[in-house]
Formats: sequence, C-alpha cells, structure tokens
Amino acid sequence: MLAGTIWQRELLEFAQRRRALAIKLAFPLVFGIPLVIAAPPLYAAITLTMLIAIIGALGAGAVLTRERESGLTLRYRTLPVTPGRLLIERLSTSALIDLLQVAPVLVLIGLRHPSQFSWWPALALSTAAVLLIGNLMGAVASTLSDSPGEVMLYVFIVLLPLLFLAGVFTSLTEPALLAVSRLLPFSYLHESLLGALGGQPNLLAWETLLGGFGFLVGAAGLTGRLGRRVLESD
Amino acid sequence: MKADTASEPSLLTATGLTRAYRGGKGVFDITLKLAPGEVMGLMGPNGSGKTTLLRLLATAATPSAGQISWFRNANPHDPSVRRRLGVMLDQPAHFDKMTGYQNAWFFAHQFGLADELARDRLDELFRWSGLWDAREQLVSEYSLGMKRKLNLVEALVHRPSILLLDEPTLALDYRAELDLIERLQLLSLTGTAVVLATNDVHLAERLCDYVIFLHDGRLIREGHVPQLLAEVAGSKEVQLQVNSPIALESLRALAAVEAANVEGDTVHIILARGANPAQVLAVLNGTADLVSNMRVRRPNLGDVFLKLTGVALPAVHR
Repeated sequence: MLAGTIWQRELLEFAQRRRALAIKLAFPLVFGIPLVIAAPPLYAAITLTMLIAIIGALGAGAVLTRERESGLTLRYRTLPVTPGRLLIERLSTSALIDLLQVAPVLVLIGLRHPSQFSWWPALALSTAAVLLIGNLMGAVASTLSDSPGEVMLYVFIVLLPLLFLAGVFTSLTEPALLAVSRLLPFSYLHESLLGALGGQPNLLAWETLLGGFGFLVGAAGLTGRLGRRVLESD
Repeated sequence: MKADTASEPSLLTATGLTRAYRGGKGVFDITLKLAPGEVMGLMGPNGSGKTTLLRLLATAATPSAGQISWFRNANPHDPSVRRRLGVMLDQPAHFDKMTGYQNAWFFAHQFGLADELARDRLDELFRWSGLWDAREQLVSEYSLGMKRKLNLVEALVHRPSILLLDEPTLALDYRAELDLIERLQLLSLTGTAVVLATNDVHLAERLCDYVIFLHDGRLIREGHVPQLLAEVAGSKEVQLQVNSPIALESLRALAAVEAANVEGDTVHIILARGANPAQVLAVLNGTADLVSNMRVRRPNLGDVFLKLTGVALPAVHR
C-alpha cells in the first residue's frame, strides 16, 4: 500500500504496526469495561476524562520528539507544504487514530446507558476536541526537549493542574473557579461523560455540545497557527 | 562541454548570510551566487559551517542575518521555492517502519508528482541507485549507504532546479559514487545547479566548477577549480606517516615548506615549486625510524585549503 499524503502516511504507518495497533486498541478497554459497567458515574467520568486527555497528549508528543531526534522534522522544513497545513494534517490524523482507540469505550457507554442518547453527540465532539488539544499540547511539549521521557513530564506538569481547574477531580462551587473551568475543554468532556454515564452533570447536553464544538474548531485553528513554532523551531 | 553560465541570471543568491549558534559556531557573512548548470562545492573541515550553510540554502534553517533569494523569491516558506529544490541533508532521515518505496512515494507526492509520473521516475531511480531489489524492505533494515541512496532518489525524483547535497558520497561504494558523478554531470548539462557540501577533494575536482572554502564559519577563499589548483601547481604534497610526534615548527621554518599540518599519525607537507622532498627528510635527520611511510603526490584542492589555513581537510575513506 502506498501513501501520498500526510494523513494517508500516518494511517498507513499505524496500520502496519500490528502489535502496537492491538495494544493501542486494547488499552482503553482494560480501563473502560470495569469503569463503565461497575463504577459510579462520577468516578468513571473522572478516570475516563483523564485517560482520554492522556491518550491525546502522549501520542503526538512522543512521535514528534522521536522525529526531531532522527532528523525527520528537519526534512519536513524542506517540503513544499506550509508548516500549518502539515501540523493540522498530522495532528488531526493522530487525533482520529486516538478517537478510534477510545471509540470502543464510547460505544460501550452507549450500549450500557442507551437512555442517555441525547449526550452522545456532545460526548463525541468533546472527546474529539480533547484529543486534538491533547495532541497539540504534546506537539508543543516536543519542542522543549529531545527526550521523549522529558516531554511526557512536561505534558503531565501542564495537564494535571488543567484537569483540576476543569473541575474533573472536585466539584467546583466558587464562581471564579467555575468560570475558569468553562474555559477548559476537559470540563465539557467530563460533563458529557457524566451525562452519558447517567450521572448528574452541571451543564445541559446542548451546552456541552456547543463547548465541545467550539474547542474543536479553536484547536484546529490554533494548530494551524502553531505549525511554524512546532515544526520549524531550532 | 558546459556553456559559460557567468552571464546567466542566478538561480540562487545569498548576501551577508549569517547563522550564529551558541558557542560561536555557525556561518558568518557569506555571499554567493549560483547560476543554472553550475556545480558549487562547499569545502572545509568538520565544524567549518558547510552543513549549516547548506541547510540555510535548503530552507531547512533560518538565517539570523542576511538574505537568500531563490529564483528571485526571498520567501523560504513559499511552496513554489521548495518545490524546485532537491535536498539531501546530512542525516538520512526516513519513516523507518515504512518500506523504501513507500518513503520515496510519499516524498514524491509531497512535491506534487502524479501517481503515474511518480511511479515511472521512482522505478527508474530505484534501478539506477541499485535499490530496486530492496524497495519492499523496511527502511529500518537498510544500511547507512542504502538510506543515503534512498535520500538521493527522493532528492532527484521531482527534477529540481537546484540540488543541495550534504556529503552525497558518504557511505556509498565506489560504483555508486561513479554513477552519482555521471548523473550529476548530466543534470548540470541540462541546467540543474548543484551545491555539494563535501570534503572529498576527488569528487570536488571531478564535479565542481566553483569551490567555496569555509573555515570557522567564514568564507576564506572561493574560485573556479582550475584557478584554485593553479595556486599549488608545480608544488608537491608529501605525506609522512610518523611513529612519534615531530616538531612541526622546524618543518614550517624551511623555505621549501609552504604549509605543514598533522592529522593523526600523518604529517601533510606542501612543498614549494621545485623543492625536493629530501630537504624535509634532512630536517628529520637522526630520527630515521620516526618515519614509517612516505608518499609524494600532485597537489589537490585539499592542499590549497591546507596552504590557506594550515588545517588539513579530513580524509575521505574509500
């Protein structure tokens, strides 16, 4: 099979690495099955929000760090493709692969709680938004170090406080903190997971849908703008 | 015979080009012009700035000062500029989990080649480079030489107007090197300009019209190859393999010695026109067992560099 575009190449490489593919697809289910079936909705939503955010952030960060080390990033600079387009294609494909990875868990939620179907579009959109933003965070972190391990560390240093501020770990009541949480995509994912799992979210389904959509569009725009910063930083 | 390209408009011009790195490395205030069909060599010892300069010309790095214009366009990010450049960087970077052909196919398409054209050209280039039988092999299984050949294929496939090659013969066998020289000569005849960063004096003498010598990031001398070689015409290079250190200063003090330098266990000495190598041995008199081997040969571009800087270009192992 031959790939002529950036997104085709990403998918081809992913499909060719069969063992990694199997592990990647099985990993979320290992957490997802017991959580969706047996855990209270709040705990399941907390863990799944963290899991989805981490899956998004780690994949692109590690890959881009390896590519910077091997000299591939330098080769990208000689291609007749704008860095913005290149990064959008790369990260959106990577986020799509991540979405495929978590899709079985999302399907399981739908099967277990069919009556919560009004939350499904919001859940899909906010998951996609968090995955793309996670990939972008990983991509930016990859410019800070040549070591994949160090890049993971930078990602976690930023990600964990953001998850806290998004109200994932504790219910936020302070108006200022509540307002801050609404500026973070993780809060919409958390709310939609709570809704889809039959819990008690603070937002309505359409509000979460709107938030997820906004962050998805914003993340795509930001990815395009950060292309040069990520791929052409010396 | 190649036409005189001096009066033709330049494909590439660089003015006051500077790229400074921490620790004082980089390139400083480089000015050059490249005409269609011209083959230009960038020569200098390791760390002299060849790779940095090539990366700047290839749009892979951004200058801290100065300007480059490709085809009268000074925007390095413009896809229409990059589409006309064929680049082989020093690191043969590929997608290791894809086959050689999959890699080349991907890069060919990035440069806008349609399927049929890409297939025709890649088939021809894979056969030419000797990679045909290994085309379905993963790049992670390729040797360094194969990876560099694949880089060459990828640099050539879209028939660029300017080829920028960093040490193109490194890790290539002699047959592949000859094939590459022949191909580059042909491309040059059809108007493709070539910039080579190399320490291979034989390659530079066979292929280059014009050579730029870099030392500590600065352009120290440039000229047409025959013009540069004329500077050492009539002199000889003596290579002495020595068993223990010798006093270079006593050699340099000789009127017959134009330049002398030590590289590992080999002493490189450029003798002035008409000088006799025996004069050198006379200085080393009384230390007969010091010299284990002696070679006298006609001077080359490496000797011009040695004469200019007192530093020998690194030996290229064939």
